[in-house]
Amino acid sequence: MAIEYIHSYLVHPGKSGGHTSQIKGTTLAHSGKLFDLLNEIYVTSETQCDIAISFNQGEDGSQKNACRDLFIDYLGTPNLVRGRRIAERLETVTTRRSGLGLLFVIAGKEGRESKFVISRFPTDTAILAEEKQEELSVQFLERVFMKSAHSYKAAVYRDSSKAGFWTGRAVDRQINDQVTQASAYWIGEFLASDFEVTAAAGTRIFAIALRNAARDTQDVSIKSEIAAAVTLAKSLKGRKSNIPGFEAMMNLSPKVRKAINEYASDHLDDQFQLDWAEFSQHLAYRSIELDNGGMLTAESSKFDDVFHREQLRGSAAEVRFSTEGRVVGERLGKSKIDKLGK
Amino acid sequence: MNTLEAEYRQKFELALGPLAVALEAQLREYFSQESRIDRIVARPKGVKKFVQKAMILENGVLKYSEPMRQIQDQVGARIVTFYLSDVERVAAIVEKYYRPIETRDVIPDSESEFGYFGKHYIFLMPKNLLKSDVDKSLVPDVFELQVKTLFQHAWSEADHDLGYKPGGKMPGADQKRLLAYASAQAWGADRVFDELFQTLAK
Repeated sequence: MAIEYIHSYLVHPGKSGGHTSQIKGTTLAHSGKLFDLLNEIYVTSETQCDIAISFNQGEDGSQKNACRDLFIDYLGTPNLVRGRRIAERLETVTTRRSGLGLLFVIAGKEGRESKFVISRFPTDTAILAEEKQEELSVQFLERVFMKSAHSYKAAVYRDSSKAGFWTGRAVDRQINDQVTQASAYWIGEFLASDFEVTAAAGTRIFAIALRNAARDTQDVSIKSEIAAAVTLAKSLKGRKSNIPGFEAMMNLSPKVRKAINEYASDHLDDQFQLDWAEFSQHLAYRSIELDNGGMLTAESSKFDDVFHREQLRGSAAEVRFSTEGRVVGERLGKSKIDKLGK
Repeated sequence: MNTLEAEYRQKFELALGPLAVALEAQLREYFSQESRIDRIVARPKGVKKFVQKAMILENGVLKYSEPMRQIQDQVGARIVTFYLSDVERVAAIVEKYYRPIETRDVIPDSESEFGYFGKHYIFLMPKNLLKSDVDKSLVPDVFELQVKTLFQHAWSEADHDLGYKPGGKMPGADQKRLLAYASAQAWGADRVFDELFQTLAK
């Protein structure tokens, strides 16, 4: 594994236009503390970049993506000029709110594959304190660039052929920032990409895993916890995470997470946006069966509003459900309506 | 070319066949509640057809410098639906679940011609479609999916069978006109049935 080229550029906000691009860049040496930092970024990029992404098709439906073209062009001949074109693209989508950024473009070889890492450090201010012999020197620093900042962004791509490079991985610590729209800036606008797993595909796997876990467990507490979580899931609409991340947002207990994850074990790393329409399609109804043969069914999101539940005194397990309304339908059937699971 | 054939044959046996089965099953799940779907099929591209395609020349040079990566229909799927207006409904569903890198409405070059019609996609191959320990390097990046009406499907199947056999006769001028005539009839039938569907069934 070896870095072959590193180029760096100071990228000013340019989304509003009206200025002449003056991006300055430099080629970096392969030694020293800065190289050590960038080498660590390069080596750990595939684990640090935890969002699987893919380039969008062209607006005309063709296999044309401007950002992908720039990356492949750079990898063909990594140099300051080709790297600057990438920086210029970033400049056109960078707003004043995102501010000044320091961009690193790194190319390397991994066996037969080319590896490309792009990393943006946001600007910040800092205080430098230096102990001298007799005194302490304290200095205010502008234009400090820090990887640990909440708005650090990066992406990594790796392939053996120019025909590939359609998928990569990204990290964006602002991915769920829906207030500033910063979440769209790196992956959506600059990389002209989206999550590799579509919202519907990821949500479907999650919803069916929830449904199957509730259906197949004999543990009533697991069934109840999943049912309660589903009732409140609408608050997660539009959020981006993976299945363990959504389970954490739902405050699910470890035993419930274990039960759910058994039905989605190949997909636990998939990052996706929760699609509420898809989610509710697979978990539309909640049913409770009582030991007296009674069955209560209502829309999942309204179940607790439709049926009032009362714990009966003297019994931990006995409950009374009550409801009020006008009869609008009645059915006879040859079997019990299938419960959570069909 | 023998090396390419051997390499593709291995890929076909170890990965493409199982992938096509898994992809078809996944598509059937996605469409399990949808009406007016005539068929959903997925198949791996046969070894001979792959090698033929890999040997295509453009301006005297091989069109594909890296056929194993550049030929994008090594796994192909087709969804056949009843009426023209169903095509967009099917399209909306596949676009919901898969990431496209190409979308094309395939139509003849001129409004006065008749021939092949269909909606074609190149989608990224979903990750983890195969649960087995298949070598990931054998899994193609993408697959092709076509959405067609019954009449578009019928014409394209017969046209393909008649027109493109290796070593077979190529259609002459009159025969090409007959193929175009049949395509026009299929095109017309699609419009008649869609109009009837819109009027009677909705």
